[in-house]
Amino acid sequence: MQGGLRWLRARADDVAVLLLSAMFVAFVVQVTSRYVFNHPLGWTLEACVTLWLWTVLWGSAFCLRHDEHVRFDMLYHAAGRPLRRVFAGAAALAIMVGFAVALPATWDFVSFLTIKKSATLRIPLAYVFGIYLIFMLATIVLFGRRLLQVLRSGPGKDHDVHEGAP
Amino acid sequence: MSLAFALCLLALFSLAAIGAPIAHATILGALVYLAASGQDLGIAGEQIIYGIYDSFVLLAVPLFIVAANIMNAGSISERLLQFCVALVGRFKGGLGHVNVVSSLIFSGMSGSAVADAAGIGKVIIDMMVRSGHYTRGYAAAITAASSTIGPIIPPSIPMVLYALVSDTSVGYLFLGGLLPGLLMGLMLMVMNAIISHRRGFQVDEVVPLSRLPQLTARAFPALLMPAILLYGIYGGATTPTEAAAVAAAYALLISAGLYRGVTLRNLREIMLGSVKSSASVGLVIGGALILNYVVASENVPQELAAAMQGMEVSPMTFMLSINLLLLALGCILDATTIILVIIPLFVQAAAAVGIDPIHFGVVVVVNCMIGLITPPYGVLLFVINGTTGISLREMIVEIWPFLIALLIALALIVVFPEIVLWLPQMFGYKAGG
Repeated sequence: MQGGLRWLRARADDVAVLLLSAMFVAFVVQVTSRYVFNHPLGWTLEACVTLWLWTVLWGSAFCLRHDEHVRFDMLYHAAGRPLRRVFAGAAALAIMVGFAVALPATWDFVSFLTIKKSATLRIPLAYVFGIYLIFMLATIVLFGRRLLQVLRSGPGKDHDVHEGAP
Repeated sequence: MSLAFALCLLALFSLAAIGAPIAHATILGALVYLAASGQDLGIAGEQIIYGIYDSFVLLAVPLFIVAANIMNAGSISERLLQFCVALVGRFKGGLGHVNVVSSLIFSGMSGSAVADAAGIGKVIIDMMVRSGHYTRGYAAAITAASSTIGPIIPPSIPMVLYALVSDTSVGYLFLGGLLPGLLMGLMLMVMNAIISHRRGFQVDEVVPLSRLPQLTARAFPALLMPAILLYGIYGGATTPTEAAAVAAAYALLISAGLYRGVTLRNLREIMLGSVKSSASVGLVIGGALILNYVVASENVPQELAAAMQGMEVSPMTFMLSINLLLLALGCILDATTIILVIIPLFVQAAAAVGIDPIHFGVVVVVNCMIGLITPPYGVLLFVINGTTGISLREMIVEIWPFLIALLIALALIVVFPEIVLWLPQMFGYKAGG
């Protein structure tokens, strides 16, 4: 089970690396064709913003560990272990419930866009924006899992650079 | 303030306070607002998606991150350092000066203070400690302080973020940062010289001047990068976003092709590191976009602006209060959070009391960068602690004189807007307020 998860995680990282690399390449193609060949391309621009949207949401959903997010963790680290457990549990529960409640409305918004196509690549916007639904689902599952962990065995140890701080 | 907005803030702050990711806390706060004011919950997703999808200028953020990571992985930093040692290493406190000068050059290629501290900063700390002339804390402290210049001299990720929330020109913001960045460097070098004399640091090993041409040649392709970037943006050839792509491509070209410091295998690691940084910043941007939607529908910036006008606050009083507020916030919050979440509240008010938005932006970014080294929450201190193992206690003891040097620079920039605005005006910017 753990091995399988680790394998999935590594493949998710691969996808993210491909997304960002593709964005980088598309941008270089765009700059080259515009300035070297004096022939601006439309599709590269759209490809870049689409890949950027996907990199952010895919990366946030599957590649960032909890402690790799931007967080204000001073109070959290100042708290004792029992209180940390409450903090971590409450945060996970709130995020899980909040995202779950917003999911149907967001689904409606995205699926409505099946009829609308992107400007140059003519991809239905529902596919372009569908990554947000994936991000929401992943967030619900991940924070649900975190909640279970916290309830079962406490908040776990953050990989923290300021361990041993004064 | 409506009840919905109060609930939104309550949810946001209590979640952030107990350690939830800032981005998730802002999204949740916005959802609470939408629910309480009877709006469609789908608006949150809509704002985040379109906000990221429609702002082309934001693409500069991941591109600058990629560029910095490539430069740190290759031998670019090391070649630059050898060049700087030959240049300014011959004076008392020489490696301290090398530290500042290398940061000045590196900041002309990278837009991130963290990249500066983790990359070239780590190498110079090792050199300073090995020389035996400096304490570990001193080496780490001056590195942290000089890294703050990274996002002041163009290019700059925080300035792109400020441009996004304030609707100002990235090009003029970048130009406005150039002189303040040099001023900060100068202040740090003066402070380093004073301390070196007072504590009697020994002169470091001197590189003979005859080797300078050779070392310059070795570093030349890297030294060319700031020139390419500046020419690209201000020669009118490329947009700042395109310049970011050119920077990343050029860094890859010289690192992999010329210096052979980057291979296919570590390229995956470089890109994965870049994905993580981009995603965590990108999600905070997304959260800030929906929060800004909420704040705008509550008319908060307008009301603040009207209040400031009504109270006839002078520009200087406003600037001082904002700076004190930001310095206090900088002690506990991350710069990205401050620029994206707090600053949008004050942009209109600043304009209303007659402060130029470019001047305001540069002051805000300089202030936030100083916040990166103010204890207890100083991201740069954590980064250096993480990469070198030097304890926070050793650093914090030595950080104060450099903090004072940077605060003097900040005060000068606040009091004399010309330091910021002169260069943009040379390039056709019409200052207003």
